[in-house]
Amino acid sequence: MEHIIITQHLSFEYNTEEQTRQLVLKDINLRFEKGQFIGIIGHNGSGKSTLAKQFNALLLPTDGKVYVKGMDTKDTSHLWDIRQTAGLVFQNPDNQIVAAIVEEDVAFGPENLGIPPDEIRERVEYALKAVGMWEYKDYPPHMLSGGQKQRVAIAGIIAMKPECIILDEPTAMLDPIGRKEVISTIKKLNKEEGITVILITHFMEEVVEADRVIVMDDGKVVLDGTPKEVFKEVGLLKNIGLSVPQVTELAYQLKNEGFDIPSDILTVKEMVDFICR
Amino acid sequence: MFRNITIGQYVPGDSVVHKLDPRIKIIITFIFIIAIFFINKLSGYLFAVFYLWLIIAISKIPFSYILKGLRPVIVILLLTVSLNIFFTPGGTILYTVGPLRITTGGLRLALFMGLRLIFLIIGTSLLTLTTSPISLTDGIEHILKPFSSIGVPAHELAMMMTIALRFIPTLIEEAEKIMKAQMARGADFESGNIVKRAKGLVPLLVPLFISAFRRADELAIAMESRCYKGGQNRTRMKQLKTQPRDYAALAVTLIIVMLIVWNRSWTW
Repeated sequence: MEHIIITQHLSFEYNTEEQTRQLVLKDINLRFEKGQFIGIIGHNGSGKSTLAKQFNALLLPTDGKVYVKGMDTKDTSHLWDIRQTAGLVFQNPDNQIVAAIVEEDVAFGPENLGIPPDEIRERVEYALKAVGMWEYKDYPPHMLSGGQKQRVAIAGIIAMKPECIILDEPTAMLDPIGRKEVISTIKKLNKEEGITVILITHFMEEVVEADRVIVMDDGKVVLDGTPKEVFKEVGLLKNIGLSVPQVTELAYQLKNEGFDIPSDILTVKEMVDFICR
Repeated sequence: MFRNITIGQYVPGDSVVHKLDPRIKIIITFIFIIAIFFINKLSGYLFAVFYLWLIIAISKIPFSYILKGLRPVIVILLLTVSLNIFFTPGGTILYTVGPLRITTGGLRLALFMGLRLIFLIIGTSLLTLTTSPISLTDGIEHILKPFSSIGVPAHELAMMMTIALRFIPTLIEEAEKIMKAQMARGADFESGNIVKRAKGLVPLLVPLFISAFRRADELAIAMESRCYKGGQNRTRMKQLKTQPRDYAALAVTLIIVMLIVWNRSWTW
């Protein structure tokens, strides 16, 4: 299996003058397989956003290595290749849209890469269609809803033809409708376009269908496995301040009350299927 | 309070004037401004009037919009005219008030200066009335590009203008939000004299500035992660292409300029 991103003994601390130097990331060893949908969860301050910035060389490891498609992020000669391979989408859609018109913003990345105008046009059309925003191509961004803006931001990354998209809490500032739009867009990109997705979030429901879920706490990887393996550990997750999907919580409570029910129920459908079996 | 702020004064339309290549429009405007300074007789202004009338008629811009553009400069206009009337020597003296003298030379110069200013302002506001800020930015970038080798920051200027255009509505929205939040806590933005009202703006401006800086920081990181590395080796999706109508507009302008130059040799 081919790995798109590999971290080896990755440690990181912000350069502060203070005496109490604190490691934000502690000895992280991860291998991300190509084409997978990976969820990274953790509460605020667990280091998950810092980890995201390591993946496209916005931050460099204090110790250890990060390889993106075999390229060392510390090697500055590959900087732009790395950023094109692993695109990063941020939390606030307002602060990552550069141009005053949707299609021009999507063109921003490819323009930076020096791609010929005709091909940029094709890429913009492809990217906007992939996120379902093609009919809004002539709109100014401030006329769009939060979810639509975030989809435009995703299109801006897609247009650079990355192999991997990292999304750093892309739904944190959105309303439930916008959140749904963005999540289904991401899933579609993963399934239909085969783009590796690393979704960083604190909404457990968003990663229930992921191929793999990684739980972070205090700069370390605490749990790593399929959603069923991870969400089974209700007690551990609660200990580090995370919740589990509501249905899983229900199953956990029922089990504690003495009911014979599996603890790896993640969706309402699974619960219904179990009860009506 | 902020809703009716428009960026620039662009009036959307689909006339030939609107569709002209922004580069050509900017160049034409410059040629026209220079031509205005060549006029040395009142009859010369006939050509300028005809030219502006032609543009206004084709672009279907309401005349009231053009007058609105003149309003902010009325003070400068009056100042220029009166200074010229009173302080220009030469010609026969018509009237004396203390140390001030009104001469025929002064009147003539004042009239020319006033007309020049008015035509200048109408000419340039026709450019901004018929060109959207975005295409204006494109045009400026393309015109300045040849000069970037001698240190003119063409790409940087255009990028700054684009980002400003992009963020003005966002910041207006934010200002409204902050204002409402402060009003909910008892802030008063509307009563009192000017000094009091200016002071009242502090609780609006401080959070607005802090948030603008935070936005700028995040935007810079986002741009970097989208491979932005300045203007070198950058391509543009939108390519400006000159069409026959652009050359026609240029030709009409040059004819007017030639007429104006020819007019200098007239006797009236």
